[in-house]
Amino acid sequence: MSTTRISFELNGQPVWAEVEAHHSVLDVLRNTFELYGARESCGQGLCGCCTVSVDGKVVSGCLALAIDLDGCSVLTVEGLDSGGELDPLQQAFIDCGAFQCGFCTPGFLMMSKQLLAQNPEPSESDIKHFLAGNLCRCAAYPEIIQAVQLAAHRMNKQEQV
Amino acid sequence: MIPFEYLKPRSIAEAIGMLQPGDPDVRPVSGGTAVMLMMKAGVLRPSRLVSLRYVEDEYKQVRVTESGELHIGGMATLSSLEHNDDIKRGWPVLAKAFRKLSNVRVRNVAMIGGNLAHADPHLDMPPVMTILGARVQIQGARGTREMLVEELVKGYYETALEPGEIITKVIVPPMHAANAAYIKVTTRASHDWPTLGVAVCLQPEQDRLRHAELVVGAATDRPTRLASVARSLVGIELSDHALREAGERAAHELDVVDDQHGSAEYKKHLLSVYLGRAVRLAAPGAVN
Amino acid sequence: MDTSHKAMRVLGASRGRTEAVAKVTGRAEYIHNLRLPRMLHAKMLRSTMAHARILSIDTAQARAVPGVHSVVTAEDVMKVIPQPYFGPAFHDQPILAVGKVHYVGEPVAVVLAEDPYIAEEASHLIEVEYEELPAVFDEVQAAESKIVVHDELKPAGTFPDLKHLAGRRGTNIALDFQVRKGDVEQAFAQADRVFEHTFRTQQVMHTPMEPMISLAELTDSGITLHTATQSPSFVRLEIARLLGWPESRVRVRTAFLGGGFGAKLYIKLEALAAALTLLARRPVRVALTMAEQFYTITKHGTTFKIKTAVDGSGRITGRQCTVWWNGGAYADIGPRVTQKSGFTATGPYDIQNVAVDSYQVYTNLPPAGAFRGFGITQLVWAYESQADIIAKELGIDPVEFRRMNLLREGQAHSTGTVMRSAGLIEVLDRTAERMNWDQPFDRGSGTLRRGRGIGVGFKALVAPTTSVAMVTLSADGSCFVHASTVDMGQASNTTLAMIAAEVLDISPERIKVIAPDTDVTPYDMATLGSRSTFHMGHAIRLAAQDARDKMEALRAELGLPADEPLDAAALLKKRYGMQAGNIVGWGSYVPEYTSPNKETGHSENITPNWMIGGCGIEVEVDTETGQFRILRMENVVDCGAVLNPRIVESQVSGAAIMQLGAALYEEMEFDEDGQLRNASFAEYKIPGITDLPASIRNDAVPMHQYNGPFGAKGVGESGAFAVSSAIAAAIDDAVGVRLTSMPMKHETLCKALRAAVANPIEETLT
Repeated sequence: MSTTRISFELNGQPVWAEVEAHHSVLDVLRNTFELYGARESCGQGLCGCCTVSVDGKVVSGCLALAIDLDGCSVLTVEGLDSGGELDPLQQAFIDCGAFQCGFCTPGFLMMSKQLLAQNPEPSESDIKHFLAGNLCRCAAYPEIIQAVQLAAHRMNKQEQV
Repeated sequence: MIPFEYLKPRSIAEAIGMLQPGDPDVRPVSGGTAVMLMMKAGVLRPSRLVSLRYVEDEYKQVRVTESGELHIGGMATLSSLEHNDDIKRGWPVLAKAFRKLSNVRVRNVAMIGGNLAHADPHLDMPPVMTILGARVQIQGARGTREMLVEELVKGYYETALEPGEIITKVIVPPMHAANAAYIKVTTRASHDWPTLGVAVCLQPEQDRLRHAELVVGAATDRPTRLASVARSLVGIELSDHALREAGERAAHELDVVDDQHGSAEYKKHLLSVYLGRAVRLAAPGAVN
Repeated sequence: MDTSHKAMRVLGASRGRTEAVAKVTGRAEYIHNLRLPRMLHAKMLRSTMAHARILSIDTAQARAVPGVHSVVTAEDVMKVIPQPYFGPAFHDQPILAVGKVHYVGEPVAVVLAEDPYIAEEASHLIEVEYEELPAVFDEVQAAESKIVVHDELKPAGTFPDLKHLAGRRGTNIALDFQVRKGDVEQAFAQADRVFEHTFRTQQVMHTPMEPMISLAELTDSGITLHTATQSPSFVRLEIARLLGWPESRVRVRTAFLGGGFGAKLYIKLEALAAALTLLARRPVRVALTMAEQFYTITKHGTTFKIKTAVDGSGRITGRQCTVWWNGGAYADIGPRVTQKSGFTATGPYDIQNVAVDSYQVYTNLPPAGAFRGFGITQLVWAYESQADIIAKELGIDPVEFRRMNLLREGQAHSTGTVMRSAGLIEVLDRTAERMNWDQPFDRGSGTLRRGRGIGVGFKALVAPTTSVAMVTLSADGSCFVHASTVDMGQASNTTLAMIAAEVLDISPERIKVIAPDTDVTPYDMATLGSRSTFHMGHAIRLAAQDARDKMEALRAELGLPADEPLDAAALLKKRYGMQAGNIVGWGSYVPEYTSPNKETGHSENITPNWMIGGCGIEVEVDTETGQFRILRMENVVDCGAVLNPRIVESQVSGAAIMQLGAALYEEMEFDEDGQLRNASFAEYKIPGITDLPASIRNDAVPMHQYNGPFGAKGVGESGAFAVSSAIAAAIDDAVGVRLTSMPMKHETLCKALRAAVANPIEETLT
């Protein structure tokens, strides 16, 4: 089958790839770029393990077509600590123990990043509503809520300085 | 999943040209979540997908006209609508419904036109759109036409769209003094599909209703208007008893099937209770 | 045995996971991410019939698809593995169906291709012709049925108590385990009251977020399985057995698991992956989708008939338990569940007259095996639910009733084992305290009613099992822990590092816990049943102590003062004159155990420890619709000494929330032909973040496990035990309706509430 060349920005770097129409965003991130933070779990866009950010909006990598990445800016969990320092969300997840097996964790982090970008002081109910489409079988949910609140608190304090 | 051709038309006209009515293997795709799911499941096997993502910007925008109508471009994403201030102000029931659809990731890419064209009976939006008297503008090879959302959705994943037609606009009339509410009833985990959706649109006048509309979704294969039950709510005292009776009449009228979310009997029972709750939510002042 | 209560330096304090940074940066290793050069992807074709003879398999069309490497059936498998049957208890499960299929979803054929999309497409082109056979699905019916799933029972010989079943025909009962004590019939005859109820639970699936995956490749020294497994040592020995090779030619390695919960135990995909790589002579990746997991291993559905005799004061004088475990088409570890949990069916109660009959039953459903709780949650559901029913009937407070009957330290359990370090009363009391049980409780008026419930369950640690560990020190003082315990999110790496650090008196930061690899990490029975803190904890402790002993000997040999602190770096550099060499300590632990008598189930020492979980629930019911929500959840456990409070809390909380799924939302729904209708997250609902009870709190009572490492024992399952029954009790307290089947549905409650209005006598519903 014929391939199409896509050019896009990946974690701040310009990249390109040859993709077939049916290749998902996950396929190209994992197979071409060897970024394994986003993972296919349910394959239906219901669990959020495949969450990546495209032009600032979180999407299900298992359903999104790679061919639509052309010209976009993509952020994956690997891009969160690209400055060499952990993102405040990542640090907060560690401090609150907001993961167990860790398989769903990049998805929760990417979701939380968009949440805090659009709502810097989310209430517990805001957090739950936003993360309602992310599943964690280990059920680290209480700790995840705490971690998002902690990250928000720290980021707001930083803003004020 | 069979390989397919993916086309990115830059205009609606170009998209329509590519859809070639008569070829069932060519399909439009907007957000892609529904289509990709069906393709992964092997239920849909198109040879060509025509993306609607890259058409003119006007089809992604929202505006309120001078006459107070809400015009939503068919390619507007559900999340853009969820956060739209005009909608929150003028059509709060719609804004609330947008917030509950599926999950954030889906809302970020799914488009209102695609969502309505999919006609999944469990969706929250069609009953709400129906109760607000919304209509859709449809474009195809044979030109442009309009119809009510109520007429658009005909059955289980079935619409009045002809092959090759695209929903390019959704028009919602101004609400004026009407109060509307939508209740999504779930009976398992809260992130589940609704077992029942109850949409009401009321015009209260002191402690009575001057006008009432009622549409039920999720439990039926298409949003179903219960006109005579709605009419029976007009002009009467809205006691608990009256609302319960109306609810029971609504349950009786409804054609419902058993599924994993509940038996037909249970869904009807839920309707008999939630009708009153939806009325109370929409017009608390009119209810005892 | 370590009975020291001395102040601990590392253990007992909250510490983050060793792999925390890796997990939050998305860089933690999972077998799900592994790619091997030239690997082929495998896609399975599965049976569409619950029970049928395979008349023919036509793979021609599939093989002709461009990009398909090959299509494999049982016939091909048998060229490399002549006896392709596996299973920890019975060798009843074929790698690919041989001659017959026994459940819908059973693997029948496999397509290999470099492109997984091509493999998937081609799999739909394989044509199988079946001759349908009658099928049986219900566990109670199957126990008596003439419809037999397997013509002959094939116990594996791994468990001596299954030997007597070898060759048995004409039955679906794969194990019947019994306990007898005293005279139950007499107890019933003499009782003031006799209560008889039946409770049911449904089949559910673990749904770990990382779906099952195994890769196999041939190497110059044999075969390597890279697999997401909780039991690498078992996989090695079983693959070696299947291939007829020595273990030295089989290597099994694993990484972090994206969840296990018991799903990734024994053989799942490994035997198939091994066969495929032997056939293809290339690495093969066998990966399941989330949906396919439902067709691989599940949790037993059960029917539990419980009959209890009570005297006038509320003391239980006799109890008869009959439990049917729906094992599905293959035994997997089901017989162990039937026995090891079966003997706890009478509950943690002091009862003089007892009869337990526990049956593992074959049916034409997907196989059932180990699932967090290992059968305990199903048993607690019944005995704690009945405890509340009895208490209510007799007008006794549910907590009081339990206080009257719970086993105390020094009393004998129905099997004859004397209770030690079992904090049953402590857990009950703490749960009651957290629930403010002594305070008046507002049950509401109007259409919203509230209720509360409480319960406690217990589990025996599976025995006897062995863990072996090595602890090595290098010449800069770094420490390496070699253990085949698998970290699947329960923080075993962290815990084992802390134990080694405690004994060696070094910082945990200097310790690397080596990922399980059977070439490198010694034998461990498996990571299951909350056994690792106890068994591997001991093994690590012993290994670290051995390392200390060796350092002491070296210190003496080097003529250094006996009071000089043990510093591996200093000792080694002095010994070798440079940074060289190792200190190698090793330890092995297997607890004492006495096998139960075949007729009576009696044993003086049936388990090394008891794990205990209590739960208190407050619920609010919408009496108009039957919808209810949990307002409050208090989870309390006895896990002995708390080695790492934050980790223990996360395990208690995680298990409790996971159990909410089985209690309220999850159910594998089959039609009358045994077809599963909801193998997907769209229709199979696990708890999400919006399903959390409004308030959840977790606690562990201060206890000391007399024979545990530093006084500790396991905690991974305990939070799940008493959740379901506490919810049912709370609902009954609120609205007088007793639900006796899981999942507890709003609709069932609604129907009962409406019936109660028409008929005021309270009914017990199934």
